Amino acid sequence: MIPGEAHGTIALSASACTSCMICVRECPTWCIELDSHTEQVSEPGARRPKTVNVLDAFRIDFGLCMYCGICVDLCPFDALAWSPEHDLASTTAAGLVHGIEELESTWPSADCAAEAGTPGGDGSPSDS
Amino acid sequence: MTLHSIPAPERKYRVAGHPDLRVAILDVGLACCALEVGAAITAGLLVPEGSVDTGPATSEVSVLLISGTVTDALAPAVIRAWGALAEPRLAVSFGACANTGGPYWDAPTVTKGIDQLIPISVYIPGCPPRPEALIAGLARLASTDGPCQSERGDESP
Repeated sequence: MIPGEAHGTIALSASACTSCMICVRECPTWCIELDSHTEQVSEPGARRPKTVNVLDAFRIDFGLCMYCGICVDLCPFDALAWSPEHDLASTTAAGLVHGIEELESTWPSADCAAEAGTPGGDGSPSDS
Repeated sequence: MTLHSIPAPERKYRVAGHPDLRVAILDVGLACCALEVGAAITAGLLVPEGSVDTGPATSEVSVLLISGTVTDALAPAVIRAWGALAEPRLAVSFGACANTGGPYWDAPTVTKGIDQLIPISVYIPGCPPRPEALIAGLARLASTDGPCQSERGDESP
């Protein structure tokens, strides 16, 4: 039985991510890759368009990841969270590199998040 | 395991939840990941055969479980252990160090992934992985490749 607060894997809510790169820079094993670009967003009535980051790719190489949780702790937008999912074994080394889709699929359910007392589960990654 | 003597796997295990799988594990415990293998046995996830009444197994496989940091000094011993293992055999890389070098990714004396030396069937991520992750990885041996993949590369010297 895996407890809800178990540090099984790290999940991503791409809609919460602002591509600030803090997790990428602070990761001790440099296992996170992030690609983004900026877009101009014009809002009616605004004096000038707003520049926003748009997330293109987010990859965690779980072959390298130490599961230290520094990225989870440091994310200012709670876009990363612990998930109790642990069955991540792969038959290839490349299969350990997880992209946005796989990282969002392990986002913890509200029950797990409540047990762990983490912000995960407040906003499901699907609400983007 | 010492550098010069390669023991044969003494004990066969049954994997919890997978009654038809029997594994003879040669645990190359090189670092802290090795403790999780002991934890899996203590928790009853990896059951020593004979300790409880188990039915007949349909598949048996020798598993080289590399759990820990493979340094350049130890790499030849790991290769010898692989070469000495009876067929059918499969190698499982357990933990970040064995998978990619992990936290020692920039250390000059650490092998950056044991798959540079021997063919790996299943990679289990974690630092260290939970005992449950070990069981899930061993179950993957049975469900996907089957225990007959070892002829895809005998790279032992």
